[in-house]
Amino acid sequence: MSRDKANLGLGLVAIGLALVAVLAWVPNDTATGVIVAKRGRVSIGDAMAPMAAFGLVALAGLLILFEKTRTEGAARLSAANVRFLLLLTGVFLLTMVLMRWSGPAVTGFGQLAGLTEHGYRDLRDTVPWKYIGFVIGGTTLVASLMSLVERRVTWRAILVGLLAVAALIAVFDLPFPDLLLPPNGDT
Amino acid sequence: MKHLFKPLAVAAAAFCVPATTMAADWTPPGPITMMIGFAAGGGADTQARLIAQGIEEKYGWKILPKQVTGNSGLSLASELAAAPADGTAIGMVVSESLTYSALAADNPDLQLEKFTPLATTASFELGLVAMADGPFNTWDKTKAAGEAGDPIRFGVASDRQADVAYLFGKQAGIDFNIVPVKGGAGVMNGLRGGDLDIGFVAGAQSKAVQQGELVNIASGISTTLKDSPDAPMITDLGSAFSLDGYFMFIAPGDLDPAAREALGAAIEDVLNDPETEAHKLVSKGFGGADVITGEALDAKMQELLDNAAELLDAANAG
Amino acid sequence: MTEVLNYVWLGVLAVFQGPGLFTVLGVSIPAAPLMVVGGLLTGIAVGATPGLAGPMAMAISLPILISVFGFTPDAILPVFGFLLGIMKGATVGGAVPAILFNMPGTPDALMTTLDGYPMARKGQPRRALRIAQLSSVTGDTFSDLVLFVCAPFLAVFVEAYLDLPEKTALLILSISFIAAVMGASVGRGLLSVGLGLVAAFVGTGQALTPRLTGGVGGLADGFPLVSAILGVLILGEIFKGIEDLIAKGPKHRAEEAPEDVEGGDDLQPGDIGRIAPHVARGAVIGTIIGALPGVGSTLAATLSYTFGNRRHEKRRKPTQAAFGKGAPEGIASTEAANSAVSGANLIPVLSLGIPGNAAAVFLILAADSIGGFNPGPAVFNFTAPEVNPELVTAFGIFTLMAIGNLLNWTIGGWFMRSMGVLARVPGQILLPVVLLLTLTAIYVQETSLFALWVTFGFGVLGYLFRRSDVPVLPFVIAFILARPLEQTAREAFAATGGDPWFLFGSATSILFMAAAVGSVVVLSRK
Repeated sequence: MSRDKANLGLGLVAIGLALVAVLAWVPNDTATGVIVAKRGRVSIGDAMAPMAAFGLVALAGLLILFEKTRTEGAARLSAANVRFLLLLTGVFLLTMVLMRWSGPAVTGFGQLAGLTEHGYRDLRDTVPWKYIGFVIGGTTLVASLMSLVERRVTWRAILVGLLAVAALIAVFDLPFPDLLLPPNGDT
Repeated sequence: MKHLFKPLAVAAAAFCVPATTMAADWTPPGPITMMIGFAAGGGADTQARLIAQGIEEKYGWKILPKQVTGNSGLSLASELAAAPADGTAIGMVVSESLTYSALAADNPDLQLEKFTPLATTASFELGLVAMADGPFNTWDKTKAAGEAGDPIRFGVASDRQADVAYLFGKQAGIDFNIVPVKGGAGVMNGLRGGDLDIGFVAGAQSKAVQQGELVNIASGISTTLKDSPDAPMITDLGSAFSLDGYFMFIAPGDLDPAAREALGAAIEDVLNDPETEAHKLVSKGFGGADVITGEALDAKMQELLDNAAELLDAANAG
Repeated sequence: MTEVLNYVWLGVLAVFQGPGLFTVLGVSIPAAPLMVVGGLLTGIAVGATPGLAGPMAMAISLPILISVFGFTPDAILPVFGFLLGIMKGATVGGAVPAILFNMPGTPDALMTTLDGYPMARKGQPRRALRIAQLSSVTGDTFSDLVLFVCAPFLAVFVEAYLDLPEKTALLILSISFIAAVMGASVGRGLLSVGLGLVAAFVGTGQALTPRLTGGVGGLADGFPLVSAILGVLILGEIFKGIEDLIAKGPKHRAEEAPEDVEGGDDLQPGDIGRIAPHVARGAVIGTIIGALPGVGSTLAATLSYTFGNRRHEKRRKPTQAAFGKGAPEGIASTEAANSAVSGANLIPVLSLGIPGNAAAVFLILAADSIGGFNPGPAVFNFTAPEVNPELVTAFGIFTLMAIGNLLNWTIGGWFMRSMGVLARVPGQILLPVVLLLTLTAIYVQETSLFALWVTFGFGVLGYLFRRSDVPVLPFVIAFILARPLEQTAREAFAATGGDPWFLFGSATSILFMAAAVGSVVVLSRK
C-alpha cells in the first residue's frame, strides 16, 4: 500500500465517520437541537458543538485526501498491527475479568468453607479479601505482557508481576485508608 | 505504622458501637460508600468529606467517599438507585436534584419517591448578587436600567434558577439576557470580569459580601439573608417563586427504617456537635447547620417537589 | 501596586507557611518546597532515562500526589511543586544521555546530541554537561521571569478588554492554530483536534439527558478526563512500545560504552563569555516560541541552532570547533532555547487556561482533579479587601518555579552528572509495570472498572494515531479546551441576547476568527 493509499483510507474513514454522525448519531442522541428556544430563552442546544466538531473531522478528511505529509516514511495500519491489538484486547479482557470476579469467587468458597460469613461487598475494605482481585488480575496483566515480549512464560515474569502489585499496594493502599484498589469501588 | 493496625482498629471500634451510641441498634453491615455529587475540592465536597470523617470518629463506621458528579446530581441518583438499599450506599446532593431536575429530566427511575431522604445539612443562602461598586448594586438601579431597555446579563447556575430569573423578569417587565454559567463560582467570576451584570449565587458569595466587594441586592429564598438582612426578597419584588433548597444526604428507595433513622441521627449528631470540623465548616461557610430528618424531611421534600412542579408549569406556559 | 506586592508576598508565604510534611525539632517543614526538590530530582532521573519523558512521570505521580495531599485547596501548591520540579528537572536531565550516549533522553534534547556527543567523544563530557546545564537553566530562568511579568498582564488585559464573544473567538483561534502547527500535516492536525472535540462532547451538555452516550449510563458525565488524557498519551505510547519490543524480540540491547568518560575536563576559562550570546539568543527565541501554544520546543531548538550556527561561522576562530563538531556554542544554543520554552508555555496556561504542550496538559489535569484552582483569566482578579485565593496560589506557583530554578542552578548540575550511570530497566519490564501503575492510579481516582475500559479504549486510539502519523497532542489539548469553548460560546450567545453572529460582532473577534482560518489555510499550503 502506498502513501497515497494510506491517505485515501484515513481521509475516507474520517469523512464516513463524520457523515454517519451528522446524519444519524448526533440528531438521534442529543436531547436538544442546534438552537433551543424554550421557557423564554434562546440558547445554543446540545447538538451544536458535536455538529461543529464532526464538521471539522469531515474537513480534515477532505484535506488528508489531497495533501502530502511533511514527514517521510509510510504511516499505515498493517495486518500485524491489527493482530497485536486483538491480542492486547484479549489480555486486557482477561485481566479485567480476573480482577473483578476473583475476589467474589474466592469469598464464595470462603463462605462455603466457613472462613467468613460475609459476602465480598462487606469485605471490600478488609485484609486479605480486598487484595485478591488486584493481586490475581494485576499479576496476570504484567506477566502476560512480559511473556508476549519474551515469547515464553517465565517464573521471572510472574515474580515481576507480584512485586509490581505489592509495590502498588504499598503505595496506594497501606498509607491511605480511604482509597480503593481495583475492583473494590465496583462491588 | 498505625495503618497496619487499621483493620484491628476498625474491628475494635465496631465492637464498641452499641455501648457508645444509644440512638439506634442499627450498625452498617460493611463499609458505607458515600457518593458525592459535587466537584472535588469545592465547599460542598469538603462538607461531605468532613461529615464522613465525623461519623467515622464518632461511630467507628467505615465510610468510603467517592465522587459521582454531573447532570445536576442525576448521575449520582442513577448510580445510587442501583446500589444495595441496606445503608451501605448513601449520596450527597442538593434538594434541587430530586425535585426540579428529576421532574425536568422526566426519567421515571430518578424521581423523589424512588429514594429515601436521610438528612439535610445546610440550607441555601441564595442571593441575587452584583458588584458593590457597579451600576447594578441595588434592585432599583437594576430595574431602572432594565426598563430603559439596557440589556442586563443575568448569570444563573442551573435551569431552575434560569426559570425563576425568566419569570421574575417577565413579572418585573424586564427582558433579561439569561446566561447559564458553571456554578456560583462562575457567576462570581463573570461579575468580576464584567461579563455579567447580576446573578444568583447560593452561598459562595458570603465572604465577598461581608468584605464589601459584592452585594446581595435581593434574597432569592423565602427568608432574608443572614449577611444582608436589609436586602428585599425576590418574592417582595414581584417574583412568584423563590429558590429555597438544601444540601442533603439520600439513600436508595425502600431503605430499612432502622438504617434511615441511624444514618440520619449520625449526620445530625456530627453537624450539631460544635467540636467537629464539619460543624465548623458549615457554620463558617454555609450559614450554619440546618438538619431536618425523618417525617419533617419527607414533608419538606414534598413541599419543594410541589414548588418545582409549579415552577416548571409556569415556565413552560410562559 | 501595593495590592500586587501584597499578593506576591501572600504567595511566597503560602509556599513556606503551607501545610507541613513533618516536624524537625519542633519546626514544621513546609511540604511545597520539599516537593519541588523531590520533583526536580525525579525529573532529572526521568529525563536521563531514554524512553521515559517528563510528561509520563508527571502522569504517574499525579494520582499518588493527590492521594497524599487530598482534594483540598491546600494540596495545590505541594502537588504543583512536584510537577513543576519534574518539568524543570526533565529539561535538564534530557541532555545527559544525549551528550554521553548520543541518545536524546527526551525528544527536546535531540539537537543537543549534535554537539554534545562529539564533545563527549573528544573527552570533554563533563564540560559539555556543565555547558548544557548552565544554558538550560539560564534559558529556563529567563523564560520564567517573562512568565511572571506577562501572565498577570495578559490575564488582566483579557478580562478588561475581551467580552464573551471575543473570548470564544480566542479559544477557536488557539485550537485551530494548534491543529495547523502540530504534526505531519494540517489535515492530520485538524483530524486530531476534531476527534478530541467530539470525545469531549460525549455525555456532557446542558440538557438533563446526556448526549451522545448511546444509552451507556457510565458516560453520563462524559469520558473521565484522566482516562482520556492518560489513555491517549501514556497507554498509546506503551502499546506502541510493547509491539515494537515484540517485533524486535527480547534480546536487542547492545549498547556501545562511551569511550573515555573521565578526563581533565570542566568549564574552561572564557567558556561563559563564548556561550553567553548564544544562550541569550536561545532564551529569547525559546520564550517567544513557547508563548505560542503548541509550537513546541523542537522548533525553538532548531531555530536557535540555525541562527547560532550562522553567527558562529562568521566569527569562529580556526581553533574553535564548528557546529556539529562539538562546539559548546551549539549545545548552548539548543539547550537555552528548548528550556526557555517550558516557562513561557505556562503564559497561556495560567492566564487563559490554554495548554500548549504535554507538561502543561498535566498541570491543568492536576488543577482540575484537585479543584479550587481553575487556570484562566479569573485567576488574576486582584480583589481587595477579600483575598482571591486563586491569585495567591498563582503567585505561590511562581515562587515554586523560582525555587526550582535556584535548585537547578545549585544541586541540579551535581545530580545531573551522577545520572550518567543510571541503570536502565529493560523495556519488557518497564512498560507492563508502568501500564499497571497507570491503570491502578486511574482506578484510585475514578473507582470504576468502566473508567479503566475507557482508558484502554483511548489507549487503542492513541496507538492508532501513532501508527497513522496523526499527532496526539492536539487531540488532548482539544479535549481539554472543548468544554470551556462550548461553555463560553453558550454564555456569549445568551449574553448577546441570542445573536447568531456574535462571533463577528466586534473588530477584535473578527480579527481572531480571520487568524484562525488564516493559520489553517496558510500552513496547509506549505
